[in-house]
Amino acid sequence: MTLTHFVTKNAFRNKRRSLLTVGSITFSLLLLTLMMTIWRSFYLDKGSEDSAQRLMTRHKVSLANFLPEFYRQRIRSIPGVTHVVPITWFGGKYKDDKAENFFAQFGTDPTEFFKVYTDYKIPPEQAAAWQHDRAGAIVDEHMAKKYGWKVGDKITLKGTIFPMNLELTIRGIYNPPTSTDTLYFDAKYVEESVRWFRGSAGLFASLADSPQSVGRVATTIDDAFRNSPQPTKTESEKAFLLGFISMLGNVKAFILFICGAVVFAILLVSANTMAMSIRERTREVAVLKTLGFPRKTILALFIGEGVTLALVGGLIGSLGATGLVGLVAKGGGFFAGLSVTPGTMGVALLVAGLVGFLSSFAPSYTASRLNIVEGLRHIG
Amino acid sequence: MSAVSEIQNAGNGAVGNRNIVVQARGVSKIFRRDAFEVTALDNVSIDIAAGEFVALMGPSGSGKTTLLNMIAAIDRPTSGQLLVLSEDIFLLNDEQTARWRNEHVGYIFQTFNLMPVLTAFENVELPLLLTNLTQQQRRDHVTTALRLVGLGDRMHHLPRQLSGGQEQRVAIARAIVTDPTLIIADEPTGDLDSHSATEVLEILKRLNENFQKTVVMVTHDPHAASYAHVVRHLEKGMLLPIGG
Repeated sequence: MTLTHFVTKNAFRNKRRSLLTVGSITFSLLLLTLMMTIWRSFYLDKGSEDSAQRLMTRHKVSLANFLPEFYRQRIRSIPGVTHVVPITWFGGKYKDDKAENFFAQFGTDPTEFFKVYTDYKIPPEQAAAWQHDRAGAIVDEHMAKKYGWKVGDKITLKGTIFPMNLELTIRGIYNPPTSTDTLYFDAKYVEESVRWFRGSAGLFASLADSPQSVGRVATTIDDAFRNSPQPTKTESEKAFLLGFISMLGNVKAFILFICGAVVFAILLVSANTMAMSIRERTREVAVLKTLGFPRKTILALFIGEGVTLALVGGLIGSLGATGLVGLVAKGGGFFAGLSVTPGTMGVALLVAGLVGFLSSFAPSYTASRLNIVEGLRHIG
Repeated sequence: MSAVSEIQNAGNGAVGNRNIVVQARGVSKIFRRDAFEVTALDNVSIDIAAGEFVALMGPSGSGKTTLLNMIAAIDRPTSGQLLVLSEDIFLLNDEQTARWRNEHVGYIFQTFNLMPVLTAFENVELPLLLTNLTQQQRRDHVTTALRLVGLGDRMHHLPRQLSGGQEQRVAIARAIVTDPTLIIADEPTGDLDSHSATEVLEILKRLNENFQKTVVMVTHDPHAASYAHVVRHLEKGMLLPIGG
């Protein structure tokens, strides 16, 4: 036997209580790992290299305002910009209003699209087929699997913003770095049918020549249209996507609040368990001290118990979160590409260990200072 | 003048040149509870020689266990001087006292006080975890101690799987596994039937006679006291003269 073995045996001596404690820590750490993963994905991930070079230019007032099509040429002429494509939200209805049939649909320019979205992979013959069919569309791999689509299939999107229906033929299936659940079609299809949309675009996606020039290019684009009737707001693709998240409210504060509440709750649960566990073993502490166990060892033994329970809960929780995030990410959409990194797991385990330490320190310290004679008299 | 020399100078003739293990001079212990003071020990002086088997008897509250606890360095006197194994143990700090107890004292409780989650083997091994012995050396020591108390075949039983007598024998094995000089037993037969009590007393006698362990035992039981060489009586915190 070793002292570690002794700690482990004591940590799980009361199986029901240990399981309930580990269970509550597991659930809390699962939630914490999920929140940290979302935080990392939203605010820390830089995305792919190509994504870091992409800029999104929209109307300064609102995404709902269109920009003139000629802005594309002006943006293209700005030093540091290599390619520009229009991106327009169609917002059509596929089959019905059910959530599972909702996906993003954008009108764009098929001839230049893959020059801006260089990290989207598609067989060249499929890209060419799309470029030669005004009623053609491309869909991402995850979406094609989800709806059982294959090249050549026809789908109809009923217009809700634009007074028209799109009769599209799937010409290609592309593979983005992370699933986007997005359909792209030729924007000219809409322009030809909807008179008021002609010469307009929802926004422009452009590719800078290097990640370093992104900031300068964004400023130059916005400066170019500052005094025009349609001023622009240009930002990196990541910042643009974060703009959607901020529409939900103060997501950062929300995540921080949940994380704080979770940690505080498990701290209380764990502290209560450890206090109960140590108090009911007051006599055993006195016996250990009688056998010659010094204060430091007693302190380490009990803190070890708290940390062991918390780490077991933390490990199960973060592994559970890994599985859950995998499932959510498989569903695609906003959470596509989400994954629990070893770093996030490490932080979750560190939090668990810290919770174990903090929750057990006070009762362990009291136990280590126990007067042997009083401890031996303890009944309980 | 140090406590050691003071006590040695004041040593009484009764113990002569014998190797003294415990020397107490004018030891008192006063417990303070709220506004009340309770004198548990009142000016107690006693010498216990190496290899002696001493029984401390007396009614409840007479101070037997208090004296025992002081000899085992788990309680401190309010006044007086106490040398155990020629060491003024109350000059040691907490860590040193713990180490000293681990090395020199084997304590046997009335209620066994085994760790319920550990097997007999692991309970006995517990004090050895604080030593520098290797795992193999620890295993050898534990096996020897358990065989000595006749529990070689119960090593991997949990305390709840043992009878009271067997539990107390495990506790004795735990007390002797570090090979201490002094065995302190606080009513070791108090929770046992007469058969088990006799077994435990026989073991203590064997440890005293065959292994020259000094045994200090608190008991209410005259039968248990009959195993001792010396029986000392305490009453109201005072040690009565031998034969008094």
